Amino acid sequence: MRRLRHDLHILTGVYALDALEDTERERFEHHLQRCQSCSHEVRGLHETATGLALAAARVPPPQLRERVLTIAARTRQNPPVTDQRPLPRPRSVWFPRLAAAAAAVAVVAAVVLGITQAATQRRLDRVQAQQQGIEAVLNAPDVRIVSHRTSVGGTATVVFSEDRHKMVVTTTGLPPLPSGKVYELWLMAPGGNRPAGLLPAPSAGRTAPVLAAGLAVGDRAGVTVEPAGGSAQPTTTPILAIPLAG
Amino acid sequence: MDGMNTRDVRVPEPGGGQGKSADRDLDWLLGRVARGDQAAFEQVYDRLAGPAYGLIRTVVRDPAQSEEVAQEVLLEVWRNASRFDPAKGSATTWVMLIAHRRAIDRVRSASAEAQRDQKSAAAAVAASADEVADAVAANLDAERVRRCLSSLTDIQRESITLAYYGGYTYRQVAGLLNVALGTIKTRIRDGLIRLRDCMGVSW
Repeated sequence: MRRLRHDLHILTGVYALDALEDTERERFEHHLQRCQSCSHEVRGLHETATGLALAAARVPPPQLRERVLTIAARTRQNPPVTDQRPLPRPRSVWFPRLAAAAAAVAVVAAVVLGITQAATQRRLDRVQAQQQGIEAVLNAPDVRIVSHRTSVGGTATVVFSEDRHKMVVTTTGLPPLPSGKVYELWLMAPGGNRPAGLLPAPSAGRTAPVLAAGLAVGDRAGVTVEPAGGSAQPTTTPILAIPLAG
Repeated sequence: MDGMNTRDVRVPEPGGGQGKSADRDLDWLLGRVARGDQAAFEQVYDRLAGPAYGLIRTVVRDPAQSEEVAQEVLLEVWRNASRFDPAKGSATTWVMLIAHRRAIDRVRSASAEAQRDQKSAAAAVAASADEVADAVAANLDAERVRRCLSSLTDIQRESITLAYYGGYTYRQVAGLLNVALGTIKTRIRDGLIRLRDCMGVSW
């Protein structure tokens, strides 16, 4: 264990230079959430890397300025990330406190429930992968957002990127379902409907974002009521079918 | 108005390194940008487009692709300005992190198709490091960075340069330099710590 921690601490340098491969980077970011001395060191090394960047400065192509300023003027900005929002946090270095809290909760849960460390780690990986996936959609250059009332009340909001073939769905105010029923998401197309995940139980009327992959041009985002566990094909009339088009 | 604006984004305050007050200024400007202030964004552009473009160009090399990536990065700064937190690092570092990540995303996805021959890649990176040195000879910051880089051991300097300016993973760096993986990790960390101390980074 000590040896492992030592090995991980050594990675501050390669991490600060973005020289880790993806899986290693994720593992190291988990470690950073728990290791204050590492995250302090990483900050200093990031500032050092900035020195390297400044040394490579060059005059950019003149036409770039006009283009960037023009596009910015007609591009909506992202809202700040707040504690209440179930939306993703940017990479953990910038949010070590929240992430550390999440990690601490998971560790306590592991002890209390007797879950193995490995299983906890896998779950954390999954949560983080999901958050990064959501962030990737939100940051996609072609990101679009559509919002629509369902036929039974409440509103579904779909943020999607055709480039990334993904969508993120949140809802507010959907009527509660009897036990044994769930809301299921679909990617609907004339050629067939593909299941896109189940909505989680709402908290304060909202459902946490669900990320679905496999979006194709011309798809609609649909929601149906299905037996618990979901179905392979819709078995009830959709309460929503929003075209996903720019 | 344009004539008055030298738009020399490269040269920070002489002598004082990057300058803490310049950094605080940028922090403040990014706060304005987060609230949709386009004039503030112009100022951020004028201060950071040069460093961002230069870094991207050093990693990506192809001018047209570099310009594309720089555009994405600067627009990401506009869109995500509200997510910058000055307590977590300087504004310049926040932007350079985005720029570097986008640049390596570009080269790492491109390299799958064009499995670069390791030897010629090493030569190319060495050449690009020289090019960097030439392009920025007048830059005070660069002067200091070069002086600090030259105080490192060869392996420290080469591995840092290949990783950061070349956009290689440390495994690739180990392959290029024919050095064990563990050695590369240590050398990069030791070298960066020496650079940090030499450059007077205060974190």
